[in-house]
Amino acid sequence: MASRGIERTNLAGDGSSHEGFLRHKSYRWLKIASLLCLAAIVAYMLIDVEPRPNGGSWYGYTLGTIGALLILWLTLLGLRKRAMTRKKWSLKGWTSAHVYLGLSLIVIATLHTGFQLGWNVHTLAYVLMMLVIASGIYGVSAYAFLPQALSDNRGEMTGAQMVDAIASIDKQIQISAQPLSDEDSAVVIGSLGEDPFGGGVYRRLTGGALKGGNAAALAYVRARLGEVGGGEAAIALDQVAVLLQRKAGALNRIRRHVRYRALLEIWLYVHVPLTFATIAALAAHILSVFFYW
Amino acid sequence: MAFLLRNISRSASGREIIRESRVDEDLLRIGRDPNSDIRLNDLAVALHHATFELVGGDLLGVSAEMGLTIEIDGSAVGFGRIHLPSGGDVRVGPFLLRILPKAAGSADVAIDIERAEDDAVLEKVDLRRFQLSSVMPGKRPMAWISVLLILGIFMAWPIWSFYQGRTESARYAQGYHPDRMWNAGPLSRSHASLEHNCQACHVQPFVPVRDQDCKACHTAIHDHADPRRLAAATPGLSGFRRLRMQFGAMFGQTPGRCVECHREHEGAQDMPPTPQQFCADCHTDLRSRLPDTRLAAASDFANGHPEFRPLVLVNWSGEQPQMQRLALGANAREMSNLKFPHALHLDPRGGAAQMGRTLRSRYGFGDSLQCSNCHIPTPDGTRFQPIDMETDCGMCHSLAFDQLGGTIRTLRHGAPAQVVGDILSLYRAGGPQRPAELSAGARARPGDVSQIRAAVQFAAARNNLGMRADQAVRSVFSQGGACFDCHEVTPAAPGRLNYGIRPVAFPTRYMLHGWFDHRQHLVVQRPGQPRLEGNEACASCHGARTSNSSADLLLPDLNSCRACHGGEHTNRPVASTCAMCHDYHATAGAPAMLLRQQARGRRWESTVIRVNDPQAAAPQRQ
Amino acid sequence: MATDFKIAIVGSGPAGLSAAAHAAELGLSHVMLEKTDHLSDTIYKYQKGKHVMATPSQLVLRSDLDFDAGKREKILGVWNEQTEQHKVNVKFNAEVVSITGEKGNFTLKTKSGETITAETVILGIGTQGNPNLVRCPVADGAVVQYQLDDPGEYIDEHIIVIGTGDAGIENALGLAADPEQRNVVTIVNRGTEFATAKDANVKLLMTAEQDGRVNVQRESTANKIEKGFITFDTRDGELRIRCDRVIARIGSAPPRTFVESCCASYEEKDGKKKLVDGTGIQFSSSDRLSYPVLSPTFESSVPGIYVIGALAGYPLIKHCMNQGYDVIEFINGNSGLKPADEPILDKKFSVLPGQRSVDEWLAFLKRRVSIFNEMSTLQLREFMLDSEPVSYRAGDVIFERNEPGSSLFAIADGSVVVEIDPTNPSVTVPIEQGSIVGEVGLISGRKRGATVRAETGAIVIEIPRNAALKLMSVVPAAKREITRISTERQLLQMFGSSITSADLVDVLATSEILNVKAGEAIITEGDESYDIFVVRQGSMVVEKEIGGKPVFLSYLPAGSYVGEMALIDGGRRTATVRAAIKSEVIKLNGDAFRALLERKPQLLGLFKRDMAARYELTSFIEDRKDGFGGVIDLYSNVASFLVANGIGEATDLLLIDEKLCVGCDNCEKACADAHEGLSRLNREAGKTFAHLHVPTSCRHCEHPHCMADCPPNAIHRGPDGEVFIDETCIGCGNCQRNCPYGVIRMDKVPPKKPNLLAWLFAGFGPGPGEPPKKWTEKRVDPETPKKAIKCDMCSGIEGGPACVRACPTGAAIRVAPEEFLTVARLGGG
Repeated sequence: MASRGIERTNLAGDGSSHEGFLRHKSYRWLKIASLLCLAAIVAYMLIDVEPRPNGGSWYGYTLGTIGALLILWLTLLGLRKRAMTRKKWSLKGWTSAHVYLGLSLIVIATLHTGFQLGWNVHTLAYVLMMLVIASGIYGVSAYAFLPQALSDNRGEMTGAQMVDAIASIDKQIQISAQPLSDEDSAVVIGSLGEDPFGGGVYRRLTGGALKGGNAAALAYVRARLGEVGGGEAAIALDQVAVLLQRKAGALNRIRRHVRYRALLEIWLYVHVPLTFATIAALAAHILSVFFYW
Repeated sequence: MAFLLRNISRSASGREIIRESRVDEDLLRIGRDPNSDIRLNDLAVALHHATFELVGGDLLGVSAEMGLTIEIDGSAVGFGRIHLPSGGDVRVGPFLLRILPKAAGSADVAIDIERAEDDAVLEKVDLRRFQLSSVMPGKRPMAWISVLLILGIFMAWPIWSFYQGRTESARYAQGYHPDRMWNAGPLSRSHASLEHNCQACHVQPFVPVRDQDCKACHTAIHDHADPRRLAAATPGLSGFRRLRMQFGAMFGQTPGRCVECHREHEGAQDMPPTPQQFCADCHTDLRSRLPDTRLAAASDFANGHPEFRPLVLVNWSGEQPQMQRLALGANAREMSNLKFPHALHLDPRGGAAQMGRTLRSRYGFGDSLQCSNCHIPTPDGTRFQPIDMETDCGMCHSLAFDQLGGTIRTLRHGAPAQVVGDILSLYRAGGPQRPAELSAGARARPGDVSQIRAAVQFAAARNNLGMRADQAVRSVFSQGGACFDCHEVTPAAPGRLNYGIRPVAFPTRYMLHGWFDHRQHLVVQRPGQPRLEGNEACASCHGARTSNSSADLLLPDLNSCRACHGGEHTNRPVASTCAMCHDYHATAGAPAMLLRQQARGRRWESTVIRVNDPQAAAPQRQ
Repeated sequence: MATDFKIAIVGSGPAGLSAAAHAAELGLSHVMLEKTDHLSDTIYKYQKGKHVMATPSQLVLRSDLDFDAGKREKILGVWNEQTEQHKVNVKFNAEVVSITGEKGNFTLKTKSGETITAETVILGIGTQGNPNLVRCPVADGAVVQYQLDDPGEYIDEHIIVIGTGDAGIENALGLAADPEQRNVVTIVNRGTEFATAKDANVKLLMTAEQDGRVNVQRESTANKIEKGFITFDTRDGELRIRCDRVIARIGSAPPRTFVESCCASYEEKDGKKKLVDGTGIQFSSSDRLSYPVLSPTFESSVPGIYVIGALAGYPLIKHCMNQGYDVIEFINGNSGLKPADEPILDKKFSVLPGQRSVDEWLAFLKRRVSIFNEMSTLQLREFMLDSEPVSYRAGDVIFERNEPGSSLFAIADGSVVVEIDPTNPSVTVPIEQGSIVGEVGLISGRKRGATVRAETGAIVIEIPRNAALKLMSVVPAAKREITRISTERQLLQMFGSSITSADLVDVLATSEILNVKAGEAIITEGDESYDIFVVRQGSMVVEKEIGGKPVFLSYLPAGSYVGEMALIDGGRRTATVRAAIKSEVIKLNGDAFRALLERKPQLLGLFKRDMAARYELTSFIEDRKDGFGGVIDLYSNVASFLVANGIGEATDLLLIDEKLCVGCDNCEKACADAHEGLSRLNREAGKTFAHLHVPTSCRHCEHPHCMADCPPNAIHRGPDGEVFIDETCIGCGNCQRNCPYGVIRMDKVPPKKPNLLAWLFAGFGPGPGEPPKKWTEKRVDPETPKKAIKCDMCSGIEGGPACVRACPTGAAIRVAPEEFLTVARLGGG
């Protein structure tokens, strides 16, 4: 009847709240990675390769091998996070290692080149790898700064709820706009038609305001309110105006949400494909080196 | 006449909800207006949008309001008719009004009203649209494309062209070929021409560059030594180094390949001079690993270089000259079969000097004879040409023995038999003339006392004519005779005149494995001493002024070199690595290092002490 | 004298049907009386297409009718057909209103006045009883119905629902669910509260009212129903509104009165007709839930009348059908027949030493174990089906300290000891034979407080929580016993080795158990009182008034005590203690306890130590307060926020730090992939405070609401304290409705996905995580029943909860409340 005991986040000890992936196990991987870099640099200094440091020397091969293996291992994160194997592992730990070892590649790969760069497949591989790392660095900073904003903007709403909110406002607009004259309603329809997710990548990233039907409708209805003195029409218009106002809010919430998500996700569209590009270039690099040995 | 309206809608569970109503009129008002007959509550529908009207028995007139249109059976019109027995569809905004075919006899027109499903609504609810992926090209295709592109361009194409190139290697050398993308870095200057012809060196895929491919061009190159002895001689390697060698060997990188030392793709530079250590590794204590070697230990020129052992002609009495490598020193004597006392000729107050002055007008001699009066450099200035009797000695030493009118007859140098013949014929031609004005047979030695001897001979000749000719010949080939003084004469058989002369050797090079360039030493300035030129420069190394015998070996010894030359790291004026005099791939020619330096026009800088005026240092020969 | 039939069977439920079928099979003259016009009304009233389970699966079916898990329609179809085949003599629309006579000659009167005589009567009328009818006059033409089969079938109607129980509310909501139907639904409430309904349903109703989908007519009673209209008496006069249809769900009269009246003799007592005690069919107790006293052959206290099925205390269809068969066998003189569950019990008891028959064992247990004494043999039988007899050798550990587990152990033979001092196992308290152990876990739902060993060889009955709860409700005596023991033990356990049960006698005498509503205070800062409180169930929060606002001091899980400060140094209360959730506390009289303390210096010492700790905490808070007030406020707010979100009753809670969460939803994906492809958590949904997000995922409550009514009893607490649903789930959705945190979902299990690499490289399949609905629907047959899905804390998965393992940024954490709500966390924040 012995209990296995669930792995709970340990809050004991210094009482500090749980650690994020960057300070995982109090920066274990940061330490390991820096040690690795340090060792590589020192060795680079000590070992004098004739006639000059280069990838073809034995130390060059060593660094190259380390680098290549690192790259492959780092790529495996994509597999790790998706393969829910039963054994004991923490993706947080993996991410932490991924980040810091990934950064250490900057040193290792650069030393591997022996600062010999040129217009060739070897430098291509290097540059691609550097781009991947750069995008990764963006990713880390995004992960560090954006989540709060995302959470704040969300205001305990789920995506579905946001969409539903719009839908229900639309319904109400439909109803309360019934008494409107044809030309008025024509404009209001514009708001109903508006797609909260409008716009392409650029708009999502910049969060540029959509000159959507809703904004137009709102402006129009406000103007009409001025003209129409009072009576039935005024009441209806007023209702619609309020609804459109609310819808504007709802739309903005969605668009901000979408924006933050875009900012959090965009870098992966560089990081992932380039990773595979890097691996391909790496393969070409290695093959060419031994093909023309 | 009546309209049967069936308002069809769907519940969330997809169940069809039908609401029927009946309008007992011939006219139907359709719109958003609450009190129209068919109320379509959607903003896309006008308050009063269209009117249905029964026209006659079987026709239904459908008319939209001003400025509005409706779709009748798919075509947007302002007005239309529907033939009731066949029925038809009318579309108003999102609604579909299906006029059912009117059954014969029935007076009623049945109309189904249905809101057309618009998928846009469903689409909107798709939560995946929150993700960026909804507006981005997929990562997977992007990855695949880039992978295929890169593999195609940077891997497949070069490999393809590689095999392409083999088949048509003739015109391969020129034109672009993609394996250029594999070039890890520029080639050294000397190989720059091969920059874009990878296959010149990389002949077989996955096989390290082979020596034979280098030797295809570098035909003259030969091994430093017998590979086996070389391997034996290589000092013990560190375990790690040996491991690396074994590792390399696994991939066919046998030690001792050209590319081990001659690394390429390290940038457009020149091959750096071989560092001293490279040689010293083995040669400091070669004998310990190679007991039977004849090479003495050498580690550094200043301290740790054996005394020169020039190759010297020790005896040439037989057919073959006898050469031998001797250590410099008192007992190092050379048998060149020539009698030439340098001291005599160089003595500024000696006869030679005086005669030189008398002949100044003719040959431009100085107050005394200069080395360069007789020793003429080889065209490259490195060494000196062999002495030539006619041009070098002949300036003073004439072989004239008779005068017929204006022409002077001289004995034929280098052909003793001819000499004998000439003298005999002279005598056979009748009684001797007055001896006063001739110098028969005897070499003209200005200011000499030979007149007396001539008189004596002449008197004798008078007594005995037959005897005289033989006498003359013998006197020429014997002590005091014209030939004898400079040459080793082989005596004639008794009663005969078959005299002979030993061949004379003028060695142009004594040290075949080391390099010495005289031109670099035309100006000499030992540290703390005046700058020497001409004779002084020569004499500062070669002890000719004191040598009374041509057997003296006038080569300078190591120490005199060391006055200026030190090892690789030295405080002496000239730092001299092994490569300055020796080549790894030893040839008779100048060391590669020096050649390269000349190629770079740095000739005067590195191997010679800096001099203020290069012109003065230039070789001076006219 | 001859009667019409040998056997009259009342009720055509599974039990009755099976009995009738077997009677017909044996060729006994029989009649089956059904009050409706169809068989087996209870099942008939299940919603359309409901999936009916055949539990317990290990029980063999012994009946002439086939029964297998399946859709309601299918099962009913089979039964109708097979009753035909067996030529069962069924009388429809014959509701029996009275049974008189005695064995050999009973007379049954039906509503329609018809009388039937029979030698023996079998009552299989279930517990459902008859729906109460609306009391007001109903004009003809008015539609009044007492149940609702398919809400979808009514459109454009004005529908009045009377009755504010769950049934009523669910009907009302169902009718108003789809606006397309354009029903005008009104639910009538005599008062203003919806006391009898589940909170979940009430909440739904309230939202529906706000959205204007349902009208709620409060403080009203119907007084007239005509065609098209209904009239109410409301607080402000009469109200007549349109009404096309009335649906009355005003409960049903339990059949008990009818059953008790069977063959009872009556007497005049002060002008009222009253039952003569001892006549009629006797029930085991006056408890509402108690059952008729039955012989092993199901014969009631009235000879010749047999009671089977739900009425006899057997809610499961299989049981009922077997009983139907058995009872006929008994009546037919087959006394040697063993009950169908015999083999199961036999197997259970086979683990015990000494070859005894099942009956002997049952008798033995009934005699030995105090809490079983008052059970009928049949109840015990039923009870033993759920419970596990275990035999321990001397020294065996029965359960260990800090081990989750809520089952109760009854010691039938031998004796066990409790290690009350965790540091020193040799300090033990013996528990005598016939008593129980493990009740604290049962009541508090917390982990085991102490290790229990068998002292001698012992025979112990392990009673799962649900069975134990049922026992307590069915056998009041058992309840009293358990309560007493648990209280005493809890004190002993808390106050450690220093005291014995003897010392506690007078403290216990003065103790009382209080039920505290959530938020209610048991101690108020500044009061004079000095009683001691022990949290028995639920949990408390301690707050202190600092600078005008309450600051959260600490969190008291069940099993802790509070109030000693005032007791020892006198003076006023220094802090307020209020219930985080609905809780139960034991109140110990201060004076009695003071006396105890005087007698027991060690105990005083213990108290002093705890007090010191609390003083420290208080002072800590106070000086912190001056410095970083913000920190305190935040912490205190966070704490109360979490309590408000059910951390109070949680044993394990998933939190997401939204300072780190990048919304990759990998937790959900991992959850889905770690299980059968459905995610048990919704990251986005749920409350957030100070970037601390409580996603909708199970908190594994101490007393899980979801367990409350699970027909197949498929919800259990696992070895790690996780609450999980096993495969016997019938997809009824009760748990989903009962869960106040909405963490249970009903869904179809998607098929296997293609290999991950296949997706990664070629994009085959939906990829990791829960596949889109469309994808699943395309692949699974629409008939497959939905299953209730909830977090099981990834029990049985080595690595632990997938959501936490799979969080790339470390935003997702699992915490136990007592760990999380400690001031220690103030350090970091």
